[in-house]
Amino acid sequence: MTKKPDIKTWKDLNVGGIIESGTSEHFKTGDWRVKVPVWQSQNCIQCMTCWAFCPDNAIKVTDEGKRGNYDYNFCKGCGICAEECPVSKKVINEIKKAAPNANITSWDAETNQTFKEKASILMVSIKDAKEKYNIK
Amino acid sequence: MEKTIVARTGNEAMAEAMRQINPDVCAAYPITPATEIMQIFSSFVNDGLVKTNLITVESEHSAISACMGSAASGARTMTATSSQGLALMHEILYIASALRLPIVLAEVNRALSGPINIHCDHSDTMGERDAGWIQIYAENSQEAYDLLINAVRIAEHRDVSLPIMVSTDGFIISHEMERLEMYPDSEIQKFIGEYKPNYNLLNIDNPITVGSLVLTDYYLEHKRVQHEAMKNAMKVIPEIFAEFKKVFGRQYDFVENYKCDDADYILICLGSTAGTSKVAVEELRQEGIKAGLLKIRVFRPFPAEEIVKYISKAKAIAILDRSESLSTQAGPVATEVKAALYDAGKIIPMQSYVYGLGGREIYVDQIKDVYRKLKNTKISEQVKYLGVKE
Repeated sequence: MTKKPDIKTWKDLNVGGIIESGTSEHFKTGDWRVKVPVWQSQNCIQCMTCWAFCPDNAIKVTDEGKRGNYDYNFCKGCGICAEECPVSKKVINEIKKAAPNANITSWDAETNQTFKEKASILMVSIKDAKEKYNIK
Repeated sequence: MEKTIVARTGNEAMAEAMRQINPDVCAAYPITPATEIMQIFSSFVNDGLVKTNLITVESEHSAISACMGSAASGARTMTATSSQGLALMHEILYIASALRLPIVLAEVNRALSGPINIHCDHSDTMGERDAGWIQIYAENSQEAYDLLINAVRIAEHRDVSLPIMVSTDGFIISHEMERLEMYPDSEIQKFIGEYKPNYNLLNIDNPITVGSLVLTDYYLEHKRVQHEAMKNAMKVIPEIFAEFKKVFGRQYDFVENYKCDDADYILICLGSTAGTSKVAVEELRQEGIKAGLLKIRVFRPFPAEEIVKYISKAKAIAILDRSESLSTQAGPVATEVKAALYDAGKIIPMQSYVYGLGGREIYVDQIKDVYRKLKNTKISEQVKYLGVKE
């Protein structure tokens, strides 16, 4: 005889459906990504702007209080980190100054070599990420 | 207890009740004909008569959202709105009831657009009848005042924990000056007591998730819980009303039975039309017609058994709906009363009417006509429009 599975009934639910905190940790959302941010630590100025703007908790902070790498289990590839990164912005401005008609944004990162070299955060396609940066 | 007799409009009466309730937070956006409630209340805030944190927002959607955040943080929370404002709150109303937040909303019934109209009908609140809120319809200023005070207790009762709206008829009650018996502030405070929230989002010692995603596995169970809370409200509402009577001396119930006990012909309606109908009942009784009136005061939860109890011996029933569901069957009140009779195994000749939309006047003579026509009413009559130009 099979044992009846131990399921919660409607009577077991908390008032208002309240549950414990931090449950999103168990719900991995990284596979929603279309583009992948890549952190180039050598260009990073450690301003933590990306960490403050990340709508999830996908940018880790090291024990020393420094910017760590991405937690790709939760990064949805929204690109806000790349958009807000002041180093990437500076690079864009420099490029625009050099070529006013270039119409370059941070999203053009993978197509522009100059930007790619100087930017702190790159937004690249999944295909490129897999090939060049070993990101799943 | 010392009662103060004053002259107040429906809006003033509701604002006074709010002053005496002294909620922790009010977030609201003005809309005709409910604007006055918050306008008067904001002067109470300005004059330091209440300790309420008044949040002025950019829309009703924001108002009810702010109320929800406030209620989830353990604050006693109230708001006021009408018509399009309530409609704009629509999506958040469902969330407030699912999160079991006992927000108290002072509503003033006004027609929904279109065509655009600012006058009374019940289409706004009837549009939210499935939102999981308790709904109470007040006939006059006194009821609006008393029921808003009761509403706090009903909503916050542990077995209920549901948001509640108390409504008055726009302009007919909201802007009409009436005699109002007010109770001392201290007695109101004693009656409503301290609010003990179910949970507190701001308690950092016990962090919680409010409004988590629930998919196919447990959504049904969550609705079943809300169904149970509404059933609990059926038990709790008479208890609170009884306690209110003990303290303040005024009797309330799910319905008001006005001479139904021996009536051959019974009319059912909500709100201010009940006042007009009482005059019609009196005049018809002088002519020898045994007329009765059943006013439905609590519409959510729907007091089916209470209604059947009073109308089951009638020869024929007329139901007045001040809103149109455009199903071509009947308005919401008639449809639900019919369902209640079916469940009780009763089949009674019934005529349903749609009337008073967009603030169209209803007169004693029209209601008397409705009663007189009941004599020849058959079992399956089609819905009729009362007072329509044709």
